[in-house]
Amino acid sequence: MFDGFLNDLKHMNKRQFLYQVLCFGMIISSALMVWKGLMVFSGSKSPIVAVLSGSMEPAFHRGDILFLTNYEEEPVRVGEIVVFKIEGRDIPIVHRILKLHEKSNGTIKFLTKGDNNSVDDRALYAPGQQWLEKSAMVGRARGFLPYVGIVTILMNEYPKIKYAVLACLGLCVLLHRE
Amino acid sequence: MGKEESNTDDKQIKINKWDYLALKNTLDDAVKEVLITKYNHVEDFSLIDYRLLICTFAVLVAGFALGWDFFNPFPKSRFVLTVCVALYFITMGAITLYTTYMEKGIFAVTLERDESGFNPDVVWEASSYIKKHTGMYYLTMVRKDAVGVDVREREISKSVANYFDDEGTLCQDVVENEVTKMREAVLKLKKIE
Repeated sequence: MFDGFLNDLKHMNKRQFLYQVLCFGMIISSALMVWKGLMVFSGSKSPIVAVLSGSMEPAFHRGDILFLTNYEEEPVRVGEIVVFKIEGRDIPIVHRILKLHEKSNGTIKFLTKGDNNSVDDRALYAPGQQWLEKSAMVGRARGFLPYVGIVTILMNEYPKIKYAVLACLGLCVLLHRE
Repeated sequence: MGKEESNTDDKQIKINKWDYLALKNTLDDAVKEVLITKYNHVEDFSLIDYRLLICTFAVLVAGFALGWDFFNPFPKSRFVLTVCVALYFITMGAITLYTTYMEKGIFAVTLERDESGFNPDVVWEASSYIKKHTGMYYLTMVRKDAVGVDVREREISKSVANYFDDEGTLCQDVVENEVTKMREAVLKLKKIE
């Protein structure tokens, strides 16, 4: 099988090889542009996230996928489920808004809590931080799809799978002539 | 594959004969090879080059969007991203249109130079497709004079089994025969009025 791939590669001329590389580039670009398109459409930096913990059960389970929007003009309300980022943590958190303070100039401060946690999130925030501000918000949960995110969880927990899958796909596309 | 075999002829091409794409690509290359080496045609790359150009443009747009978004994180880059995304998908559409309506399966455009230098070049276009599950290789050759008034065309369909042996090795001489026959038939054809 692999022999055949190499054979293909051997018999390519300059233009065919360049086209091959461009095809590979376009597959990656298409994925990228769909993602960027979703960003523009939803207004959120990461329009789709996977739930990594059970802190929001029974609303969301580990492995669910959430669709987020982050429209500036929509007011934030208590009870909404938001995804936010905390300084010093890489992974965003999905929790519900418990308390909210709104100023007349539009700035807000809010406190969050996981449905399945017994206390609010102040222990999770950066040391000394009591409230979250609008800038910390990544988006509001608008819809979800169960189980799909399990793949993401698996790939995050066993990075070797991720690299193996990526390497296989890359080789296939690069070596197999269009 | 024995070692002696590869020693005797380095140019022998052996492929996986169950792979349609590999069959088509190998045959296409062989046909082009005959036109260029036997009849001294000069290959005209413009059709391929335009496609490569559009593809490069698409990749560049995506790369630019990625770079811009990296240096101006999201809410700031919104407008540029919108433009890039729209441009990218329009370009993708253009590529699809180009390959279906302009290239139409043409894998080689070659120019037949007039040796005396008086007459303009004659253009030969070769296109092909393999019908799935039948294993038939349809090869079309079109001969056009420079002004496009005299257009002659001929298509043959033969099973791919004609061109390959049981092992999947290409029989270059069979391809050469077929192309020669086709070329002569095209030349004999009357001008289509």
